[in-house]
Amino acid sequence: MELAMQMLGLLTPVLIIHAFVIPILKLLKSTRLPGVIALMGSGFAVVATSIIFYGVQEGGPMVYTYGGWPPHFGIVYEVDYYNALLGFLTAWIMLVIVIYSMWYEHHIDDPSWYYVLLIGLETGILGCLYTGDAFNLFVMLEVLSITAYGLVAYHRDRAEAVEAAAKYALIGAVATSLYFTAVVLLYAGYGSVNMAVLSIYSRTYVAKVSAAFKYLSLLSVALALWVFTYKSALVPNHFWLPDAHPEAPTPVSAALSGLVVNVGVYATARFLYTIFGPDSTIASYREVVLLVVFILGAISGIIGALMMMAQRDIKRLLAYSTVCHIGIAYMGISAGFIIGNEEAIRLAVMGGIVHIVAHGIAKALLFMSSGVLIDAAGSRDLDEMKGIGRYHPLTSISMILGFFSLAGLIPFIGFYSKLLIALGYINSGFILGAVLIIVISALSIPGYLKAISAVVFSTGGEPRQRLEKTWIEPILFAMALSLLVLGVLFQYLWPVYDEASKALVTVDGVNEYISRAWNLIPVELKLFMGVTP
Amino acid sequence: MAVDFAGTYLLLVLLSSLLVNFVLSIYGIFFKPHFTKKVIALTILSDTLNTFAIYIGYRRWLEGVNPRPPVLTTTPTWESITEFSRRAVDPLPQALVLTAVVIGLAVTLFLVFLGYILYMHYGTLDMREIRRLKG
Repeated sequence: MELAMQMLGLLTPVLIIHAFVIPILKLLKSTRLPGVIALMGSGFAVVATSIIFYGVQEGGPMVYTYGGWPPHFGIVYEVDYYNALLGFLTAWIMLVIVIYSMWYEHHIDDPSWYYVLLIGLETGILGCLYTGDAFNLFVMLEVLSITAYGLVAYHRDRAEAVEAAAKYALIGAVATSLYFTAVVLLYAGYGSVNMAVLSIYSRTYVAKVSAAFKYLSLLSVALALWVFTYKSALVPNHFWLPDAHPEAPTPVSAALSGLVVNVGVYATARFLYTIFGPDSTIASYREVVLLVVFILGAISGIIGALMMMAQRDIKRLLAYSTVCHIGIAYMGISAGFIIGNEEAIRLAVMGGIVHIVAHGIAKALLFMSSGVLIDAAGSRDLDEMKGIGRYHPLTSISMILGFFSLAGLIPFIGFYSKLLIALGYINSGFILGAVLIIVISALSIPGYLKAISAVVFSTGGEPRQRLEKTWIEPILFAMALSLLVLGVLFQYLWPVYDEASKALVTVDGVNEYISRAWNLIPVELKLFMGVTP
Repeated sequence: MAVDFAGTYLLLVLLSSLLVNFVLSIYGIFFKPHFTKKVIALTILSDTLNTFAIYIGYRRWLEGVNPRPPVLTTTPTWESITEFSRRAVDPLPQALVLTAVVIGLAVTLFLVFLGYILYMHYGTLDMREIRRLKG
């Protein structure tokens, strides 16, 4: 337990030190060293997040206070079951991405700066997930954003990559500025930027709530939600994703599509369940907001699925598939608009969390395996990639398994996530929700089949070049098998996801999150804070 | 009288100018075609929002109670803390703004360099002509 606590404090500083050491060691003129340092950093992240995940499983939510300052007075990192699970997922996928980057190095002219940005991106994602402080979330969001812009523009000799990064970065900078305003508004209203303390205030202020207070909270939630949906590319903020994700280097596409978009979903849920729960200041409006998120998620799913069919570029096809699946994840997470049926909300939110996991693994796998095939074919065009998969059977099989999981075939994990969301909505009597999930799944299947048939089952294509390094293929295959294993063992593993959903949705879970932070504040200081929960 | 003038009228002017600046910068970011103008509008936006944050922490000069810096110079007693909380300016928004300014500097620098590379590729910074991607 003590170890897990130390790891929670160490994680982001140690990671960022790994990132900043790389350019210094450039003086040694070693070509391998940057990759090795990045591997060390991501390996440490895997160990640390695993220990944290284990610690949360054993002892409930954990709070690490930086500099020993209690919550509300200093920055704290707070981990409950929900973000421990997502952090665990992030670190493992990132480890595979770093290993894949070492394979991909022949496309990168100066690997040391690339690894600085990649490890910086990992720091940003893990910081966003673990932080218990709304302002620290802003800082980590900026760390994540600026590394992501840099990575998208990494092939700076390609005009398209620079153009995509410019469009992404310009609106992204506006978005993070607006999130800053949202935090300032929260501070102006509640006098705190700590998530647990905000959560207490938003509940106890209900008694003396005035209209101005309600509208201030609503305004700040609206601003924050726009930013989160921008970061996770929910319609109508998805315009940057189909440009930026394909133009980035392939391992970065995997990281952006598999991990970065999750941060938006995570933060939305944190704001609308933990900070502003069902009995908070914005109680009746919150359900409307969640319903809007649900509708946007459904539109996002349908648009992503339809646009996928029209693509000829395999990376653009995968990018639109990300839009589609983030829509489905939002449809699960936003189930809180159902009033009075906690069982149903819990099921659907659990489905949303499983979908984040399933989509993260599958999409990272698909981008990376398509990268191998793109290398062999020398093109990203599906017509020119015809039959390339036949020369790389292991990669093709892992690609097909990834597509099967995304399409929701039994017994892959992607099936169970959609099933749980649909079950949640059926349980609540909102049949349309379940129908929409099925419709979106059905609409997305032609897009996947198009990619599979073009790359694997067509004939006629000749590989432009023989790949010399194929040691990455078994790793991709292992990742594909993990989708199958997670699905087959789902009946034993589902309590893990259920606990995550419980931490978010139920009153007990949120109270646990609050009390762990609240108990750390000394009694004398509580006198100044004016509330007793 | 003079205090009232500074305390209410000037603050009103400040708030309305913040609002005007906000709208103008949003207009500039989304509707001006030139990349550099967009970046300039972005810096105006972030400066506006930073000033707004400072305004949140600002304490007006009211009824002869003049605000003072949030520093405790003596060993705190109950009375001194009460007096402190009645008079001191809120330091947190300033700390937040300091962080935001530093981050804004980094983002602006990045965008300016991106604009330079864009110009090398396209020979123009007019975003209406920079659309090789489908969107």
